[in-house]
Amino acid sequence: MKNLKIYFLLFVAVTAFISCENNDKAVANNVILEFDNTFKDKTIILGDATSSSATVNVSASGQAHHFSELKYVISNIRLIKTDGTEVPYNINDLDKGAAVIDQSRPASLQYVMHNIPAGKYKQVKFGLGVKKELNTLDQMRFPIFYAIAGANDTKMMWEWGTGYRFTKLEGYYDADHKEMSVHTGSTVQGDEGDYIQGVDAYRDIVLNLTVNAVVGDKAPKISIKADFDKLLSGKINTIVLKSGQGAEDNATPNVHTAVQMIKFVDNLGGNGSSDLTGMFSVKGTEN
Amino acid sequence: MLLFKMMKRAAVLSWVFLLIACEKDYEPVLSDNALVKLDIPSYFPSWNGYAHENKPTEYGVELGKRLFNDRRFSADNSIACSSCHIQNYAFADDNVRAVGIKGREGFRNVPPIQNLLFMKFYNWDGNVLQLEKQPLVPIITHEEMDSSVLEIISRIKDDEVYKRLFTKVFGDAAVTADRIYRSIAQYEYTLISAGSKYDRVKKKEAVFTQDEERGYEVFQIKCISCHNTALFTDQSFRNIGFPVNPDRNEAGRARVTGLQEDYMSFRVPSLRNVEYTAPYGSFGQFATLKDVLDYFDAGVLDAANLDPVFKNNGNRIPLTEQEKNDLISFMKTLSDNKFTGN
Repeated sequence: MKNLKIYFLLFVAVTAFISCENNDKAVANNVILEFDNTFKDKTIILGDATSSSATVNVSASGQAHHFSELKYVISNIRLIKTDGTEVPYNINDLDKGAAVIDQSRPASLQYVMHNIPAGKYKQVKFGLGVKKELNTLDQMRFPIFYAIAGANDTKMMWEWGTGYRFTKLEGYYDADHKEMSVHTGSTVQGDEGDYIQGVDAYRDIVLNLTVNAVVGDKAPKISIKADFDKLLSGKINTIVLKSGQGAEDNATPNVHTAVQMIKFVDNLGGNGSSDLTGMFSVKGTEN
Repeated sequence: MLLFKMMKRAAVLSWVFLLIACEKDYEPVLSDNALVKLDIPSYFPSWNGYAHENKPTEYGVELGKRLFNDRRFSADNSIACSSCHIQNYAFADDNVRAVGIKGREGFRNVPPIQNLLFMKFYNWDGNVLQLEKQPLVPIITHEEMDSSVLEIISRIKDDEVYKRLFTKVFGDAAVTADRIYRSIAQYEYTLISAGSKYDRVKKKEAVFTQDEERGYEVFQIKCISCHNTALFTDQSFRNIGFPVNPDRNEAGRARVTGLQEDYMSFRVPSLRNVEYTAPYGSFGQFATLKDVLDYFDAGVLDAANLDPVFKNNGNRIPLTEQEKNDLISFMKTLSDNKFTGN
């Protein structure tokens, strides 16, 4: 009887220990998420205002545009087995489970996940942005991600909202190369009574794999296309860029203004209900 | 048998430890650290709900005040919270827009720090709802202190005075981000301004002069629908057609809510100690109170979401020169010289 009690207590202690840890103690196998940032089928080349090499895209409403900077945050990654089991990947640890995808840094376009349990996977889910529980710029809790996001050449932070920037797109539009600057992020701060203040720009993306990813001895690579043509010519909103200082103007004073931002958010990351893919699609899986 | 007993104890103990490790923000209230007794008039509004979870304590306030005045909070050790939040200006300053390290300019006017215990929304656009969540913003903002909380911790953690104070407040000397935020908030909760002439009149300990009395009457007709309650703000957000901030980051409360109707709306500012918080407006558009009243009288900028108070009255608040002077006399009765040290 005593023995049983001891075993039980040890079991409880061990479980408590594990629940503090992240569940990455399984078989050591990698899965690679590879991001191809495109305008339609063309991989984007960045360039400054008058660049001749930058990839130029024309929106549904006829506005030519190109980017000088393209960054976004992914987190909350989950892989779904063919039997429906969901395998979360450090979903509550930004240091181990979130990344800044930066078009100017080729290494950042491949996100390598470690210790994924062996098996067949049919679906990948991830967040564009950071879910609100973790979006607090908590440097003590996640010093690594805080440093990556806050770096001077990355600037994926919204200091005033104590949250991360989820996407940061800088570029130029129209023949006279007017500046465009689209930043997205959440402004949710909490509750004031029954009133929940702010907008949540986090979007959950759900992508079905065309070919199952087989995790075992090899490291499968899942290629994901992020088609930034959707920014202006999305499934949800067709956006016309307009420079100026009014509430309707969206091209540049849009840096921190939630009014126009959410249209871009829905185009890039879907609306969280009828559209769960936004600009993302699966190109293929290499096993 | 003995071995079993020891194992059992070890197991229980380790389980308890792990439980504590998993728990966050476990802060024991120490018995020798008494709650601060706050002198609050009965006609003041209720507390911000979050303040009940972080009531000011004797040592918590002492620690918070020390942190508030510590220049090591800024990247180059040049400014503290108190560099912009100066007591003589009701814990605001006299700059048009906030000035941070290396003369970097922010895009809004420094708000006074007074009666925050009773505020439901903080800052011009109300983006912060819980005071403990505010200190991080100036710490990391490029135009303010441009530092980080880990940097600050590394600078102050071996300071003997802080070690003693952190231990008195939190039970051990560990300096954490949460403890810093909580202590600063505790100090700020105690910055209560309720000792103006207006308050003495309210308690029948003083009487208004004739000018003040006339001003109070005008105030009740033309101002009180927004500058309501004992705080002289109803804490609503309104677009009152002030000159628009040219900074492209500015959208007023719409920046927070994403609602078109909040575009260029700002929280109605408290009028307490308004004599000491010039210049006025979200980016210091007006140098004097007279300038503000002249602007209201002349007519404000139109906007789709211009507040009905203006929209329904030809976009203005008509005021005679006499009324303006009387209003200013009245507003000066809201000065609390004990609070500001003036």
